Amino acid sequence: MSDILEPKSIVNKANENIELVEFDEFINNINKYETLGVGVIIKPSDDIMLLKDSLYFIELVVLDFNDFDDGRGYSQAYFLSKRWGFKGEIIGINAHLDQLQFMLRSGVTSYELLEDYKGFNEEDYSNGFSICYQAAANNSGLKQEY
Amino acid sequence: MYQYSPEDSKFLVERVDQFEKQLNRHLAGDLDEAKFRSLRLRNGLYMELHAHMLRVAIPYGTLNSSQLRALADVADKYDRGFGHFTTRQNIQFNWIELPEIANLLRELSDVGLHAIQTSGKATRNITADPLSGLTEGEIEDARPYCELIRRWFNLHPEFSWLPGKFKIAINGAKLDETALRIHDLGLRLVRNSKGELGFSVFVGGGLGAAAMVGPETASFVALDDILSYLESAMRIYNLKGRRDHQKRLRIKFLVRELGADEYSRLVDEDWQQTKDDPELKLNLAELEDLKKDFALPIKPINLNGFEEKVDFNYSIWKKNNVRSHKVSGYSIVNISLTKLGAAPGDATSEQMRILADLADEYSASELRTTKRQTIVFPYVRKDQVFDLWQSLEKYGLASPHQGTLAQIVACPGGDYCDLAKAVSIPIATRVQQRFDDMDKLLDIGDLNINISGCENSCAHHHVADIGLLGMQKNGEEYYQITLAGETLHETNIGKKLGPSVSGDVVVDAVEEIVNVYLDNREEEERFTDVFKRIGIKPFKEKVYE
Repeated sequence: MSDILEPKSIVNKANENIELVEFDEFINNINKYETLGVGVIIKPSDDIMLLKDSLYFIELVVLDFNDFDDGRGYSQAYFLSKRWGFKGEIIGINAHLDQLQFMLRSGVTSYELLEDYKGFNEEDYSNGFSICYQAAANNSGLKQEY
Repeated sequence: MYQYSPEDSKFLVERVDQFEKQLNRHLAGDLDEAKFRSLRLRNGLYMELHAHMLRVAIPYGTLNSSQLRALADVADKYDRGFGHFTTRQNIQFNWIELPEIANLLRELSDVGLHAIQTSGKATRNITADPLSGLTEGEIEDARPYCELIRRWFNLHPEFSWLPGKFKIAINGAKLDETALRIHDLGLRLVRNSKGELGFSVFVGGGLGAAAMVGPETASFVALDDILSYLESAMRIYNLKGRRDHQKRLRIKFLVRELGADEYSRLVDEDWQQTKDDPELKLNLAELEDLKKDFALPIKPINLNGFEEKVDFNYSIWKKNNVRSHKVSGYSIVNISLTKLGAAPGDATSEQMRILADLADEYSASELRTTKRQTIVFPYVRKDQVFDLWQSLEKYGLASPHQGTLAQIVACPGGDYCDLAKAVSIPIATRVQQRFDDMDKLLDIGDLNINISGCENSCAHHHVADIGLLGMQKNGEEYYQITLAGETLHETNIGKKLGPSVSGDVVVDAVEEIVNVYLDNREEEERFTDVFKRIGIKPFKEKVYE
């Protein structure tokens, strides 16, 4: 497993001094946060396109995967990671064990599982296939292990 | 015939292993029903009225005889000796015990079959013309493209949790046997003015309560750009598709609400950002390799001097069930599974094994499945068609109904499906009984009836000459009638005839409609052409008078 897939926590030491703000608060007060170095919490319904021009001063982005059937977070992660080359951390919160493979391949760099999944082997679900069939944020595609 | 590589086969096994872990967690109470439902559907597993139903993919509708025998074994071992061929090139088993599912899927993976993404809100099995590679005038065999696109969207990280299911069809032939414009996304192989190969793209077609013919969103996408275009089409849907209303999840609602022009503009805007990304280019070298795997296993043969046998029953069967082949000396044979009282598309394990043996003997071990729930033998020598017919006769598989009114397409309906509002199969049986005279059927000619038991429209009733949709009124079963739907030459949604009619009289209504057609038909005129010429009024008058 590459370093990028190593699970970290949103409350790890590197992040503990970063102020986290909700998307609406950030968008309505962008100028206020430009010099502060913030993290932005994104809901699936938030328009990720509005973040594009502010990424240079955002330290980290938090994506919420709580709704098991709502797949918008995967496209949000794709835009941040692959399309815009965001270098900060992309953290998936309220993550589900069975969706780790999709989150990590879409560009999420670390995650925090929901409490329900304590005690299960995360690697079974984050690294379960010997090949993949498409390019994604974490590799260039066909026949590469993931 | 194309076979999975060892790497592909390993992937299938790994997917089964993963699903087995999820199943075990569910059975142990560690994975709740809602999440398990979402996961099991992505592995083709439904909870039906009486038991679990498994939908197995038949990619691009092509099977070899070994695969069909494996499906027969599954029918015997895990079902009650039956399989049900669907309208979208899948086969379903209706009596599956949950704890046995992993073993079943492992047995299928041994022959390169799987149930991955045959359901759920992801890209479904990609369908192709069942006659791909066989007919004159075809631009190209669509199956290699189906395979490459199937792979690309297999467990795709970004598009595996879409707002709704996503069905793709690809056609390379003159006639549209795939009904691509009633799919969420349809691809038509075309050549541009420079003679280059590419695709016309149609997005937002669908049946159900808001039936819609998919508008064209791009008139020409070059071959190597198709993956990036498809990603953009799905990305706009994933981000903007309705998730707030259970009945508006499909992409057709997004296309309708935005307008086709605006949806196309958004897709194009996104696509311009990715189309030059080398990682998203279709691998043309791999495509050429795949084309070799899909090459026809026959060469032209000279049958000068061959004389066709003279037999009345054989000639009727041949007229309806045999088509000309682009390779000289060969025919395409269509085999109807229709049996009075049985669900259309149902096959017993014994029938599957017989068909597998006959395919070995007469059709280079290959079979195809169609949206009319029939089986095609794609490579039958002309001088062996009679022998094949005799064998089919012996096993009760020589129904001469292909293309006639008696070859009804029906969903399982209220007898099996917990979504159904009315029965389908008993209505199909009653129609078949009403039109059981072969002379009459031959006189009527090519006319199709499709019966769906609910608005989910699994039997595609909107695009049949005569479509019946089951519904409930005051606790009784009624049927909405639609007329003159079609997809083969052009795509049209059937027009509603009027108020729904009771199940007691629906077969009388069908007979009246057929009589109006016969009374007004000029020479070989098709049902849809008569309807366009005389309008709905004469049909309405007869049914509701």
